[in-house]
Amino acid sequence: MRSLGRIPIPAILSFALGGAALLTAQPARSGKPEPAPEQTRKLTASAIQLERIVPPEGLLIPEDTRISMYENVILQLIKTKKFQHVYRSGDRTAADAPDLVVLHLIPEAFKAGSQKEREVITVAGATSIKVKVQLTSREGKVLLEKDVEGKVRFYGENLRATYDLAKKVAGVVKQSF
Amino acid sequence: MRRPLWPGVLPVFGVGLLLAATAAPSFSRQSATAQNPPGGMVLDAKCVIGFDDIKPGVKGTLTSLPTGLEFRAGKKQVDITTSSIQDVFTGRESRQDVGGVSGTLVETAIPYGGGRFVSLFSHKVDVLTVEYADSTGGFHGAIFVLSAGKAEALKNQLIAQGAKVSTHVNVPEPGEGKP
Repeated sequence: MRSLGRIPIPAILSFALGGAALLTAQPARSGKPEPAPEQTRKLTASAIQLERIVPPEGLLIPEDTRISMYENVILQLIKTKKFQHVYRSGDRTAADAPDLVVLHLIPEAFKAGSQKEREVITVAGATSIKVKVQLTSREGKVLLEKDVEGKVRFYGENLRATYDLAKKVAGVVKQSF
Repeated sequence: MRRPLWPGVLPVFGVGLLLAATAAPSFSRQSATAQNPPGGMVLDAKCVIGFDDIKPGVKGTLTSLPTGLEFRAGKKQVDITTSSIQDVFTGRESRQDVGGVSGTLVETAIPYGGGRFVSLFSHKVDVLTVEYADSTGGFHGAIFVLSAGKAEALKNQLIAQGAKVSTHVNVPEPGEGKP
């Protein structure tokens, strides 16, 4: 019987390379976003209004996180340059906008991490926020819905997760218009 | 002949310690100056986000005026009038003593992952969150990070001026309540 030590090195190498190729190919295939029916046609609007973020009952989100999320999304929406006006919730002048879409961010999950844990242990302490991004018409007709998650994994303060989330929300909006 | 490792490591470790030592007192100085200003004024307040004219993360002076709040950073100044305030929240968080780019450099300079030891040093800060409306009714929120014990006093001053404040459910600080 041949011992394991006698298996030729090229065979081991080719086996390892094959495994590595499989590992790298798998996430690429599974990570590819399937085209959502909403994304097949682009939306059009000259103005967008971001509604206040109200967490559902039972989901506790720190106020600073909620506000930081709101303000970061406003900044990122402006940066997309897709809209002539980015209105805030309650803005009376939004009533004059001819084609306005309303953006709702509905929090679905929140995990408060710890900056200290992140920096000391590295693999622990991540902060994450998951929200449902919902674009509706002024009348309330849903135009787009998508789940987005913001995270801070290694370095940075907890509020950085809201910046990450805002960039992803803006990305979704940018793709849709 | 195999050379001992420590003569090469010692200078690097020394530089790391020196950087850490210079970074930590710079924080202590900041908190020392923040203790002496007149009542209603908080020096070295960090405006995390919330104003169109102020870059996020800028440090300045937050003052409670009879008409509301004023944040001044260099030549820029913004106000939140008491009548426009919709809610005020206070919270407490931990911040790393050695953070930012310099902190990361310090941590990287210490060999064998010893930089993580520096991350253990943290201090408590207060977070003041103010929700307010602009002239057209648009919703805004401003977040300030202040030295510990300052936020509640500012909130009480705003309430005394007639700012609207709702009843809040306190969200536990990250890490709180863990065994």
